[in-house]
Amino acid sequence: MRSRRGLLLFLCRNGNWFVKYQTVQKCFHNHHHLLSSTTPKPCFPSSTNTTTLFNHRSYSTSGAAEMNPQISNDLIKIMENRLSAIEQRNNYLQNFMSQPEASPSEYSRANKELRKIRSSMELITQLRAKQKEIDGLKSLIAECPEDKDMHDMAVEEMDEAIEEENRIHNLLLKSLLPKDDADERDCILEVRAGTGGEEASLFAMEIFRMYERYSHKQGWKFEVVDVMESDLKGFKEASGAISGSGAFGRLKFESGTHRVQRVPLTEKAGRVHTSAVTVAILPQADEVDVQLRNEDLKIDTYRSGGSGGQHANTTNSAVRMTHIPTGLTVAIQDERSQHMNKAKALKVICAKLYELERSRLHTSRSKLRSEQIGSGDRSGRIRTYNFPQGRVTDHRVGITHHSIDDVMQGENLDVFIDGLLLKQEMDAIASFGSDE
Amino acid sequence: MEELYALWKQRIEERRPFQYIVGCEHWRDLVLSVQEGVLIPRPETELIVDMANEVILKDKEMKQGVWVDLGTGSGALAIGIGRLLGNEGRVIATDLSPIAASVAAFNVQRYNLQDVVEIRTGSWFEPLDEFKGKIVGLVSNPPYIPSGDITGLQAEVVRHEPKLALDGGANGLDDLLNICKGAASFLKAGGFFIFETNGAKQSKFLVDFLNIQMEGSFQYVNSVSDFAGIQRFVTGFRK
Ligand SMILES: C[S@@+](CC[C@H](N)C(=O)[O-])C[C@H]1O[C@@H](n2cnc3c(N)ncnc32)[C@H](O)[C@@H]1O
Repeated sequence: MRSRRGLLLFLCRNGNWFVKYQTVQKCFHNHHHLLSSTTPKPCFPSSTNTTTLFNHRSYSTSGAAEMNPQISNDLIKIMENRLSAIEQRNNYLQNFMSQPEASPSEYSRANKELRKIRSSMELITQLRAKQKEIDGLKSLIAECPEDKDMHDMAVEEMDEAIEEENRIHNLLLKSLLPKDDADERDCILEVRAGTGGEEASLFAMEIFRMYERYSHKQGWKFEVVDVMESDLKGFKEASGAISGSGAFGRLKFESGTHRVQRVPLTEKAGRVHTSAVTVAILPQADEVDVQLRNEDLKIDTYRSGGSGGQHANTTNSAVRMTHIPTGLTVAIQDERSQHMNKAKALKVICAKLYELERSRLHTSRSKLRSEQIGSGDRSGRIRTYNFPQGRVTDHRVGITHHSIDDVMQGENLDVFIDGLLLKQEMDAIASFGSDE
Repeated sequence: MEELYALWKQRIEERRPFQYIVGCEHWRDLVLSVQEGVLIPRPETELIVDMANEVILKDKEMKQGVWVDLGTGSGALAIGIGRLLGNEGRVIATDLSPIAASVAAFNVQRYNLQDVVEIRTGSWFEPLDEFKGKIVGLVSNPPYIPSGDITGLQAEVVRHEPKLALDGGANGLDDLLNICKGAASFLKAGGFFIFETNGAKQSKFLVDFLNIQMEGSFQYVNSVSDFAGIQRFVTGFRK
């Protein structure tokens, strides 16, 4: 928190959460005051159609490590319902798995589901223990009003326990919010020069390098995949593979049109130009592995329609295999037995399906790309890099950072990324409260 | 050259099966010795090993128990299944024909399975007294051709393969019914069986026979088709 130069404010307007970023220079005292304030100060002005989800909140760009926001009673109630549902499900599954009648596939399905809720269950167990402790302390306090030392001690312990309960509630809330399965994946970065010719290409290169530096700072691996250079050694197009924990999750909001305003190197008259580059962040698929189900395969032999079996003697062991869902067919006859022709047919079908799956992923990737970047017009603009004013503004969260050089060095991108992630979380919390 | 010509003549004029000429047959991933007096194993029969493998993979007890192949011929099924069991279980294979028994024993040796597969000479269950109620898996491809159809079989088959391996009596079911009855007393509870049949008619008959005539002995009785779509097998479990 201290190392950051700004403060995020959360505003709720018409049911939507907005995050405002203010630089510290302007509101340092305010900032300090908020953090140390003893009287909870609402950061979220509640509007008529949204309940206040947090009673007080002091979020910083580095996350809410120091202080846990107090979750409102409404939200706790909603959460409690979910928690007991999870507990019930957990019991049911545990029970189910200890029964001998469970078939292997049911067993593994149950096991999978259990694994999914395990981390929530661990937190719930902790929470229940804390709640029991709090109950115990409560009755202790009620029982001994005359023993002052004892009473004070119990109150102190209870405060601690309540703070701890609150901490667990916060963790649980986080764990219950919907997660994007792709967040943990590695990703592909694609940068393309848009309107603005050579200047756009030069900026595309700078943006590409910015992400490269940022990735290194995060401890991720950055590999340049492909670069198409422009005449002045800018990048018309470039792509890189970024691998490291949570790469896609942190970078996914970078997709969109990035606008640059500055005097291009090529501009003699010294006028400021506006150009644009588009960025796409695509999750990398895990190694596609083809799963063949027996019931999806049909196998024929080329028999002359006779009765087969003991009736006939044949040296023809050709096999035709069809993958019913895709209609793929292979015929193999060069092996010496039906069994071996079948084994080979299976291999060939597998390889073909693998190819099919890869090209399908490829197409869905290009579809994703066009969805992310939009049509490339002004409406898709997510961020402006204004060199004359030395600032970078993210239009989605309304955050402006005043040291453009730091940003281009990959230094302070976190200011935007954290803000965007928090906004996502806020959106999720807002809908978490509303879907009940 | 002369010799080659003689073989060729045998193939064309006498319709001697190619596998008898070369002395072996490729079956699954095996190469099995065959000679006159022993049925050449058929591609349809390969599937029995796949079905056995399915139950063996699912259940450790199946892998560790005693399997039986009745009328083993070249030993194809016994060897195929023996290789699935590793060193944990064992296979006892029987055949009434001494030639078949000796060819089967030879093939077992070739695959170095003499500790896993044991060949016994005798009629169906007769040499298996000590395994009554102890067998976990029973497979058989007994003779199932109706006697009246024998002369109409493909020349290679009718002229060269042993009648003992083909002729199943008036409706082809003599041996299959015999084996079904034996299965009830020789399989242990939960034991699995697969029999090869002449097709839909025999399979249907056997499914009904096992379910109705032998009511209470078996469960999950099913017919299974071969790759040509013919209902070739009957499978099920001892209750
Ligand atoms: C259709 S062949 C099957 C051979 C081998 N199991 C296969 O699938 O290739 C039937 C086998 O049953 C044997 N057989 C016929 N009557 C028998 C009997 N009463 N007891 C045991 N085996 C018999 C024959 O010798 C022959 O090997």
